[in-house]
Amino acid sequence: MAVEEIHAEMVSSVWKVLVQPGAPVAAGDTLVILESMKMEIPVLTERAGTVQELHVVEGEVLQEGDLIATVADA
Amino acid sequence: MTTAQAAPPLPAPDPRDPEDRLRRFFDEGSLRPLGARDTSGVLAGRGTVSGSPAVAFCTDATVMGGAMGVDGCRHIVDAIDTALRERVPVVGIWHSGGARLAEGVTALHAVGEVFAAMVRASGRIPQISVVLGPAAGGAAYGPALTDLVIMGPAGRVFVTGPEVVRSVTGENVDMESLGGPDTHGRRSGVVHVVTDSEPAALETARLAVDLLAAQGTFGPAAEQAGPDLATFLPEQTNRAYDVKPLVSAVLDEPGLELHPRFAPNVVTTLGRLAGRTVGVIANNPLRLGGCLDSASAEKAARFVRMCDAFGVPLVVLVDVPGYLPGVGQEWDGVVRRGAKLLHAFAEAVVPRVTLVTRKSYGGAYIAMNSRSLGATAVFAWPGAEVAVMGAKAAVGILHRKKLAAAPVGEREALHAQLAEEHERIAGGVNRALQIGVVDEVVDPAGTRQRLIEALAAAPLGRGAHGNIPL
Repeated sequence: MAVEEIHAEMVSSVWKVLVQPGAPVAAGDTLVILESMKMEIPVLTERAGTVQELHVVEGEVLQEGDLIATVADA
Repeated sequence: MTTAQAAPPLPAPDPRDPEDRLRRFFDEGSLRPLGARDTSGVLAGRGTVSGSPAVAFCTDATVMGGAMGVDGCRHIVDAIDTALRERVPVVGIWHSGGARLAEGVTALHAVGEVFAAMVRASGRIPQISVVLGPAAGGAAYGPALTDLVIMGPAGRVFVTGPEVVRSVTGENVDMESLGGPDTHGRRSGVVHVVTDSEPAALETARLAVDLLAAQGTFGPAAEQAGPDLATFLPEQTNRAYDVKPLVSAVLDEPGLELHPRFAPNVVTTLGRLAGRTVGVIANNPLRLGGCLDSASAEKAARFVRMCDAFGVPLVVLVDVPGYLPGVGQEWDGVVRRGAKLLHAFAEAVVPRVTLVTRKSYGGAYIAMNSRSLGATAVFAWPGAEVAVMGAKAAVGILHRKKLAAAPVGEREALHAQLAEEHERIAGGVNRALQIGVVDEVVDPAGTRQRLIEALAAAPLGRGAHGNIPL
């Protein structure tokens, strides 16, 4: 079973969390929406499967490289 | 009684056979070897790709794993020089373990001569590499010196193999993580296009040859009204979106995206516009908010210089909030590496038209083929903003004291009002038109038409420079 780790690409705050652990996701689905540079930036999964872990809550400030979620193959 | 006996099955052709690989690369039946098949470890030939003449060489992995010796290297140099003389693209198909150990320094010298030939040809003829197996040691720098590197699933590029790495640094790593498609397609940027099969890798190389060798001319912009390109942007101006569908819609059909997973905040795509090959550079707000950073500036700079060297006009789609701030970026050399993009655009002599779709701020505004860098034309969509920074952020700095003095309840309204005033005098597209940094506000539906007209009307220059792999 392959697991994709999804990390923050830039310093940002978590604006909205759209999925919970256990949720099935398709490739290209939005997991959370970050806010940075005055923009709302969706974070997508490249892999279809199930959200395994979710490491962020709304309002939290993320540093570059922080783990946001893991998605495992269905 | 006799029974029909099935003939013994022919031995399956070795999939690494260089003649077979060259045959599969060229148009059917068009391969003409440049020399007889020998034990040098390299086979080179002429042929056509979608009708355009080209030269290709392939390392022979069936002989000593494709290791490069004096004779093989001479075949490669001859192939490159032949292509240079005939002004046609040269394609290298790589599957090689590096220099032949038994030949010692003589082999290193020969490999060095291959590199020198590649640099001689750089910027004069398109050089494309297809990595189908290991390309280790010296063979690694062969592809790296060329304009485009395409990698199949079995491709591995590294300077020193896993065993040497283990013995020197103690790191345990396999060939794939060291130099496989994911490593080079996503992290190092060595590879421009990763494919999921060997035939797809060869097909991608054919497409690249066709785009660069048979560039065509701008046809009459036949369409009455193009697609309404504005529909590719979200309604909310602060919402990020994927710019790739917009890039595809600007082109006649989806093009060949280079470095799709490396520095993805800038998209670089070769494709056709009204039938003619163009290069598209676009900020992608979906990644890093579309900010430029050190890696994306460098990626875009190399793309611009490649297109300039081969006379490929440029379309620059701008939606950029600025350069990515941060200690990491400064330490990563965003100043040095960002300077390459300024240099690349300012020196480019191909027609290059900029379209600001939504916003263009600060230093990134300048870098994205601004008027000051010599853009052929700068277009903007209605409502686009060209400014030093967003109006709201700007007045937050300019009017810090005034805002602080305002009663808390009224502060937000005052901020909005000040931002509106500021935009009128300093930002907004009207001010940019007034001072001449934007030539024209174009309707999204008529954008393709205007891009074609502006590019076709400009004299087609071609940069007289090599294409150093920035």
